[in-house]
Amino acid sequence: MTATLTSIREKARSGEPLSLEDGVALYRHPNLLEVGALANEVRERLHGDRTFFNRNLHINATNVCEASCAFCSFARLQPGDAGAYTMSLEEAWGKLRARIDGGDPITEIHIVNGLHPGLPFDYYTDLLSGLKRIQPGIHLKAFTAVEIFYFAKKFGLSIEEVLQKLRAAGLDSLPGGGAEIFAPRVRKKICDDKCTADEWLEVHRVAHRIGLRSNCTMLYGHIESVEERVDHMLRLRALQDETGGFQTFIPLAFHPDGNALMKLPGPTGVEDLRTYAVARLLLHNIPHLKAYWIMLGVKTAQTALWFGADDLDGTVQEEKIYHMAGAETPQVMRPAEIVRIIVNAGRAPVERDTLYNVLAEGAALTSDKPFRRDVRRSLEVVS
Amino acid sequence: MSSKKIRIAAVSFLNARPITYGLERSCDAANDDRFELSFDLPSRCAERLAAGEIDLGLVPTAAYATSAHELRIVPGIAIAGFGSVRTVLLVGEVPWTEMREIALDGASRSSAMLLQLLCRERGLEPRFREVPHAQVLDAVRGTTGALVIGDAGFAAATRFPHVQDLGAAWHETTGLPFVYAVWAGRPDVVDGEAVARLQASLDDGLAARPLIARAWSEAHGGDPALYESYLTHSIRYRLGAEELSGMAAFFARAHGAGLIPRAIRPRLFEGAAPTSALANRSRGGMEGPRSVDALLADAAAGGRLSPEDAMRVYLEAPALELGAAADQRRQMLHPDGVVTYIIDRNVNYTNVCVTRCKFCNFYRPPTHKTEGYVLSRDELARKFQETVDLGGVQILLQGGLNPNLPLTWYEDLFRWMKASFPLAIHGLSPEEVRYIAEIENMSIRAVVERLIAAGLDSIPGGGAEILDDEIRHAISPLKCTTDTWLEVMRQAHALGLRTTATMVFGFGEEPRHLVGHLEKLRALQDQTAGFTAFICWPFQAEGTRLKLHDDTTAMRYLRIFALSRLYLDNFPGLQVSWPTMGPEVGQVGLRFGGNDFGSAMIEENVVSQAGAVFKLGAADIERYIRAAGFEPRRRNMRYERLAAA
Ligand code: SF4
Ligand code: SF4
Repeated sequence: MTATLTSIREKARSGEPLSLEDGVALYRHPNLLEVGALANEVRERLHGDRTFFNRNLHINATNVCEASCAFCSFARLQPGDAGAYTMSLEEAWGKLRARIDGGDPITEIHIVNGLHPGLPFDYYTDLLSGLKRIQPGIHLKAFTAVEIFYFAKKFGLSIEEVLQKLRAAGLDSLPGGGAEIFAPRVRKKICDDKCTADEWLEVHRVAHRIGLRSNCTMLYGHIESVEERVDHMLRLRALQDETGGFQTFIPLAFHPDGNALMKLPGPTGVEDLRTYAVARLLLHNIPHLKAYWIMLGVKTAQTALWFGADDLDGTVQEEKIYHMAGAETPQVMRPAEIVRIIVNAGRAPVERDTLYNVLAEGAALTSDKPFRRDVRRSLEVVS
Repeated sequence: MSSKKIRIAAVSFLNARPITYGLERSCDAANDDRFELSFDLPSRCAERLAAGEIDLGLVPTAAYATSAHELRIVPGIAIAGFGSVRTVLLVGEVPWTEMREIALDGASRSSAMLLQLLCRERGLEPRFREVPHAQVLDAVRGTTGALVIGDAGFAAATRFPHVQDLGAAWHETTGLPFVYAVWAGRPDVVDGEAVARLQASLDDGLAARPLIARAWSEAHGGDPALYESYLTHSIRYRLGAEELSGMAAFFARAHGAGLIPRAIRPRLFEGAAPTSALANRSRGGMEGPRSVDALLADAAAGGRLSPEDAMRVYLEAPALELGAAADQRRQMLHPDGVVTYIIDRNVNYTNVCVTRCKFCNFYRPPTHKTEGYVLSRDELARKFQETVDLGGVQILLQGGLNPNLPLTWYEDLFRWMKASFPLAIHGLSPEEVRYIAEIENMSIRAVVERLIAAGLDSIPGGGAEILDDEIRHAISPLKCTTDTWLEVMRQAHALGLRTTATMVFGFGEEPRHLVGHLEKLRALQDQTAGFTAFICWPFQAEGTRLKLHDDTTAMRYLRIFALSRLYLDNFPGLQVSWPTMGPEVGQVGLRFGGNDFGSAMIEENVVSQAGAVFKLGAADIERYIRAAGFEPRRRNMRYERLAAA
């Protein structure tokens, strides 16, 4: 272990915040597993073997978007463009009904949309209140800071007014999307139409102040530098010091298909694991680190559980944003599958709700043993 | 073996002292009833062997390659170097490329041939002139350089402005060790007991290196510390899998350069099961149980894991600590940070198969009316030509067990392939070899001999699944037994072929089955050193008739992979399986002990019909390797590195 890594370990153990230089050194350290082991130490101190997941559904109600972010394969500029869609409220509500009717209940809906120039504010409030009518206890994690900021400008409201109105309609928390990379150099190139870093942070600051929890993200593996990644995480950490409102950090790997950055290769497995480990060490004040399997792939997400991650997101259904960018993962995992992946990684599965209240763990989840060891019995041949 | 004495000629150069150290003492001490030991120059040892004056000689590898007799090599012992050796130097007043003439030391055959080979491969054509050992250095003047061997190299290294270590040059070109000399004799002269004595002699000599260095310095002058470091760090005395690959590569290249008439394969004495130097390092049962940390640290440093220890490591070690130990071991074995890959093509010549393995959705029974195939020469020719066009160097040729294909079909195919395409044939898994022997009513050995004569270059390690008959019986009742699989490999190694070994897990087996599998491979490797690399992957259940619900996730793969790196201490290579695990996990495997990324082209019906869909080209593979912090290099089947195309 190098001197730098030893000093970082001491800081990590004593809870002292790491510096920008420390973060860069962790990215540059040649031995991936040493960095991983350090992150794992922090992860196990915070959560032991516990690994969280929930049962959720994604709704992307429209992909019509005024902005043209370079990495986005999901959005279409105009309602009539090829592949453009906007769900009617009935259609969107139908997603939840189908899940309930299918005997596959959920505890959370994750809603993220394009910046549609034509939809009225009512569309969004009705969307939320309608979902709550169908399942009053459902947790609605909806609208990125980018959307909230867009609503404020478009409908002439303050950020706080937007949030309060949405909350009145059923909003429970904010997802962490739209953060991308905070550095202006990068934003200018990949998402010039989006709100600035300060505006993004301000939305979350206000949300936290009025009592909403939220998540935060970072889109990595495109044109940003290592320093810019570390800087991004440190800005999130600074806001967290101020408000304490972030629950989870979710690093998002850039997917190159079908967008303006197609020539870039996208990050590889070791770069993904490295980013998870660095994030766990830098963001000591954000409790959870989510390996979003939809975008990492199930295999890498499982491996990330040893590189700092303690959350696998949820069962998810209907994911569109990453699949339109070439993600080849399945669109849904059954709870038993998620449990199996966690158990096979040597971790302890915990079903949570959005706010990390424990819904089930231990024998309640693992009692039907996911696989059997008896060779002969296990050889059921279907032919 | 008769009680007739074995007449041995050895060499008295410094680097040979550890090899004969124990022998000298026992032959001196009593009138030894088995050995009669004499000393000579290396080239003379070879001549006396040829003349029948001795039974066993410490001979230059070049002499082994050019011997008119069929010679066998004593397993486990060599004078070899991995990179710079400090005693085989090309020196001169001008750089290598400007030398018009090079004086050669007549005492050294292997080094001279190595120099000639390296010159030819670099397009250099100096004149070579043999001069007596004592006059080599005096010959250096102007554009005349000299090949200095032996102790003179220590002094010469600082005397001339231009010095090239040939061991280092060979390593840079091939990535393999170079073997300078081996114990060789005619096939029937040495038995297991004699091999054990020769190995014991080396073991004594290795332990006595400080003494040897001091004695040499007293007799010949010079710094004993320098000698000791030379014997400890510059010379490798083990003849392991990599050294055998190095020898085979040397012979193949020398043949390609027209320096030797045939590209022979290094062949070992058979029936001489040695206890390897490594096996001796395994700890006795005296100590109490040790912590998993201690086991990991020991294995990471090259110590041998017992099966019981391996089970504990597998079950108890935290994932990243297991991975880090394997990474450290990989770093020891492949310190230059290179990860290799090959460009080859998998061709499944027939899908007709009588075996009906439950996990296989590729085969069609011989009675199937429409879907059974045997690829025609036209189809094969197209596939082979495409492979050549894409820079491929090898065909992985495997198929079902087709009762309609006699041995002559394979012989014709191989001869035609060899005559028409510059491709190595990595073909016919043990299962197929066994089946050909069965339908031809021949011995396995006779079949392998004929296949080699027809052009077979190496055997893939497929069909091993789990080497445990209980499991094998459950998943593929008609497939060969564990013993047969190992026997085919043993015979192939004995005939000088190199092979790979595989393991497929996820059949509901227990840790003891996995460790048992690794143990069987390691034990055979101790005897033959014929395995080049190990590859494992989880059973791909999708689309097959087997529904097992076993753990085939990435974390289990990485754990088993890392354990394999630690357990298989005598395997040089560990290949990650990106076609089954995906490139991301394959890449992470490079940090869990892997040093090879496998193949850049995939047409492997047996796996791909079961749902593995990944495809990577050479550029992608290189990107993944670099992103993991390694330097990519292409290789061939011997794990010999090739110049980038
Ligand atoms: S990333 Fe969001 S804001 Fe940007 S174009 Fe896509 S949908 Fe619109
Ligand atoms: S795995 Fe091989 S031996 Fe078994 S059925 Fe398939 S082709 Fe035949």
